[in-house]
Amino acid sequence: MTNVKMKVNGKAVAREVPDETLLSEFLRENLRLTGTHIGCDTSQCGACVVHVNGKVVKACTTLAVSLEGAEITTIEGLANGDLHPMQVAFNDNHGLQCGFCTPGMIMAGVDMVTRYKAEGRELTPEAIRQELEGNICRCTGYHNIVKSIQDAATRM
Amino acid sequence: MDMTGEHRIAAPRAEVWAALNDPEVLRACIPGCQELEKTGDTTMEAKVVQKIGPVKATFTGAVELVNINAPESYTIQGEGKGGVAGFAKGAADVHLTEDGDETVLTYDVHATVGGKLAQLGSRLVSSTAKKLAAKFFDNFHQHLTDEAPPEA
Amino acid sequence: MSSGIGKSVKRKEDKRFTTGKGRYTDDHRMDNQAYAAFVRSPHAHARVKSIDAAAARAMEGVIDVLDGHQLTGDGIGNIICGWAITSKDGSPMNMGAWSALATEKVRYVGDAVAVVIAETQSQARIAAEAVEVDYEELPVVAHVADAMKDGAVQIHDNAPGNQIYDWELGDEAATDAGLKAAAHVTTLDITNNRLSPNPMEPRAAIATYDDAEEHYTLYTTSQNPHVARLVLSAFYNVAPEHKLRVIAPDVGGGFGAKIYIYPEEITCLWASMKTNRSVKWTSDRSEAFLTDAHGRDHVTHAQMGFDKDGKITGFKVDTIANLGAYMSLFSSSVPTYLYAPLMSGQYDIQNIHCNVRAIYTNTAPVDAYRGAGRPEATYLVERMMESAAREMDMDPAELRRRNFIHEFPHQTPVLMQYDAGDFPKILELAQEAADVAGFPARRAEAEKRGKLRGLGYSTFIEACGLAPSKAAGSLGAGVGLWESAEVRVNPVGTIEILTGSHSHGQGHETTFAQIVADRFDIPVETVQIVHGDTDKVQFGMGTYGSRSAPVGMSAVVKAMDKVEAKVRKIAAHTLEASEDDIVIEGGQVKVAGTDKAMAWHEVGLAAYVAHNLPDGMEPGLKETAFFDPVNFSFPSGAFICEVEVDPDTGQTKIIKFTSADDFGTIINPMIVEGQVHGGVTQGIGQALLEQVIYDEDGQLLTGSYMDYTMPRAADVPFFDVQHHETPSPNNPLGVKGCGEAGAIGAPPAVINAITDAIGTNDLAMPATPQAVWRALRAASKPIAAE
Repeated sequence: MTNVKMKVNGKAVAREVPDETLLSEFLRENLRLTGTHIGCDTSQCGACVVHVNGKVVKACTTLAVSLEGAEITTIEGLANGDLHPMQVAFNDNHGLQCGFCTPGMIMAGVDMVTRYKAEGRELTPEAIRQELEGNICRCTGYHNIVKSIQDAATRM
Repeated sequence: MDMTGEHRIAAPRAEVWAALNDPEVLRACIPGCQELEKTGDTTMEAKVVQKIGPVKATFTGAVELVNINAPESYTIQGEGKGGVAGFAKGAADVHLTEDGDETVLTYDVHATVGGKLAQLGSRLVSSTAKKLAAKFFDNFHQHLTDEAPPEA
Repeated sequence: MSSGIGKSVKRKEDKRFTTGKGRYTDDHRMDNQAYAAFVRSPHAHARVKSIDAAAARAMEGVIDVLDGHQLTGDGIGNIICGWAITSKDGSPMNMGAWSALATEKVRYVGDAVAVVIAETQSQARIAAEAVEVDYEELPVVAHVADAMKDGAVQIHDNAPGNQIYDWELGDEAATDAGLKAAAHVTTLDITNNRLSPNPMEPRAAIATYDDAEEHYTLYTTSQNPHVARLVLSAFYNVAPEHKLRVIAPDVGGGFGAKIYIYPEEITCLWASMKTNRSVKWTSDRSEAFLTDAHGRDHVTHAQMGFDKDGKITGFKVDTIANLGAYMSLFSSSVPTYLYAPLMSGQYDIQNIHCNVRAIYTNTAPVDAYRGAGRPEATYLVERMMESAAREMDMDPAELRRRNFIHEFPHQTPVLMQYDAGDFPKILELAQEAADVAGFPARRAEAEKRGKLRGLGYSTFIEACGLAPSKAAGSLGAGVGLWESAEVRVNPVGTIEILTGSHSHGQGHETTFAQIVADRFDIPVETVQIVHGDTDKVQFGMGTYGSRSAPVGMSAVVKAMDKVEAKVRKIAAHTLEASEDDIVIEGGQVKVAGTDKAMAWHEVGLAAYVAHNLPDGMEPGLKETAFFDPVNFSFPSGAFICEVEVDPDTGQTKIIKFTSADDFGTIINPMIVEGQVHGGVTQGIGQALLEQVIYDEDGQLLTGSYMDYTMPRAADVPFFDVQHHETPSPNNPLGVKGCGEAGAIGAPPAVINAITDAIGTNDLAMPATPQAVWRALRAASKPIAAE
């Protein structure tokens, strides 16, 4: 057991957990932040994507104890009073159906828009599709997810 | 999965045969082998830790020597249970031919895997098995000759 | 109005999903919750000699280890298939016994033999590993060809030759005569690849037993919680219906895989009683690949005859359907009544005969997956049309046009009576949008770059909203196929709709609210949809087969008719006017041509305070209706796919995908188009990427997303979705259903495009780069140097 301390969605948290606890488990079971989903066992589907110190991480393949002192943002922490422009864009563009992959898609979308903007690169639809390589959606055919991220990029 | 191979060992056939029947030697040479106990004249119990792709498992199972034709050939067969990781089973026909002071060992393996090993690791079973076989014969060669095998 | 029928109203349910507040089954946690882990067979076929759970029982956190003998001993019944198919010789289908936990034999890799209940999920999983099961391995038949061989090992004692049924539809003699009279006969041998539905949320269940009330509650990932309760109660004897509440909360996609009642839910319910704990089970993805019902898996030989003008003279089909090791809930109906009746496609075919043999194999059960039978039929018919056109050197669109049905209703020789459609129109719409006229120039340009361009069509029909109950019953269905709705107008005028339909991505909370807002001219925000809980909602049939709009919404309309009649009476009474003069608009109930009016909410209040109701009228404003349609609805579509193949690598790129759909009346175009995008992508997945593979030992080789290729964002283009509406006369809204069209129509369009590009018809799904490359090589002349 290890006492893990980190900052999740701006709040300091500390929990005593077994060393093998994954970040996804830590968020879902210990903190009861169930917006981070688990859709596979092999780090392929991206339903568990969160931000760790500003970078995207698949929570299902990260040990909680390795993140001592880290700052984590989950889907629950994205809206700051108002919804985040990415959340609004997903609603406006019908970028979700069953909603299960959506938290991961939104977290990945926020990250890619931020990165491309910082690097001064244009986030084309082709680039969005390539960037979504690690996120699977079974409902939407990606059409409206790509449009949502494109749309959000103009608002962020 | 089927695999065949041939190895030249710089030791006389009788010595190679003896080593192939010595649980101590086999334990030392089988990659990941933690335990190998004789349970009868031709039967052994083994515990082997293996990692195939994302699946790591401890296999426990029985190993049996059949079709024994000393000092020329036998079939070594076994089945290992790896818990939720599934199972692996197989048989290897091993044949020794004298060539002067040296021995040519040929083998013909048929192996199958099941359960999670098949689901997650089937792509990797062939390459892993080849690697393990190579490692075994490197170890075996080294044990008999006390030197690293010649570059293939 | 801005939120009525035909408007792209943004989804009301999105906020909880985009903020992480969706509540899926695994997100729930009960007091006193324990976890289940299943001990599953690693063998595809074996006798269970003994189960030794002593070591597992002694492990930390283990509450109990339960097996199949205990389960059957407690009277838990076998899992059943709910649609009885009769073989052509009059014999009933051979349904083998399927216990939720296997007792004597395991019949596929993943078959559960025991369950461990422990304090934590990880303790349960570790202990499951310690349960020692002694198996005696039996010979395995993993593929239908092996299962059908003489002397093949028999999977179920009561299914000789591993055959479940040998069934036919249509007139064989007339069809043979039609083929004989043909000027040209096209013959095809076709495989419809086995797929895993893969909703992104894995299946899960939480069962709670209340020993004081002898009452069970089950949270589960279900598309049809009432059907689950009925089956759990009536067939599996878990508990009588009034002692069992089934809740399907937010469900992360279904695609058919979540229709059925699986061993895990049954076992969790029973285990909750045995241990007096809430028992939770959540599938991991590997378990999902092993145990979720698969889809498709047909092998078919077919012949289609044409006269000299290209008119179809006969269509003969012989199909072998792999149903896996056990018969899942609707498995028998998929390759029969959901398949053969679709063989007429959009074409006027007088002679059709379809024979289907369903076979057991040592693989996971196969049941309905998005489209269910209709994709298999469509793939066959549409590859047939395209192949025939090429063989007869005709334009494939022209061959289709010559055979199109023009008059409705149209009776086919295979049961169906098509309701409405305009097939030439949607084809024309698709051809314009796809710029078919410009294709030769695009192909020439691609050729200059060393690439092969191809164009493929699929003009298809589907049957949605399974109906009517009486007809389905006569064909062997064990359930009715109606839907129910309750419309509750609250005293403040807001409305709750209780529907038996279940939303797991389809957007019912928005579209169902739209039809109510439209009818009563009130804001869509004042309408709430309640679904997915058997304690809240009256009995309903759930969501599958694109039935929520044609059947579920129609029930809402019927209930609204009753509400409106009462509203009129109350308003007429209060405003002292004739019922006939009452109009409902702009949030008011008015007397036409006067300034006399009540606000909508005042009518609601009047109904509940009941101070001044017409004599004899009951208080309240709440009505229930059941809708049983007179017929299926028949959405139709024309898809055109344009691909570019790299002959060096075999890589296929979809350049453009155009769909022109006739879904009848459209409630919300944005949501309908989303359904098309998703369906087409699953169809493209089947055509290019996906396949469940078992090796000859029955080991599943595609057990993760590293091995089973799901379509990803870069695999698909943006889609061009066109609409043409010919309302269905079979329901009050004229809707036809849109959930499955994409998955039904897309595969042949893609394969027809690739085969057009590479100039050979010898190509099977999935058309991976390797498969395409090989087909290209096989078709080209041998190279001397090799």
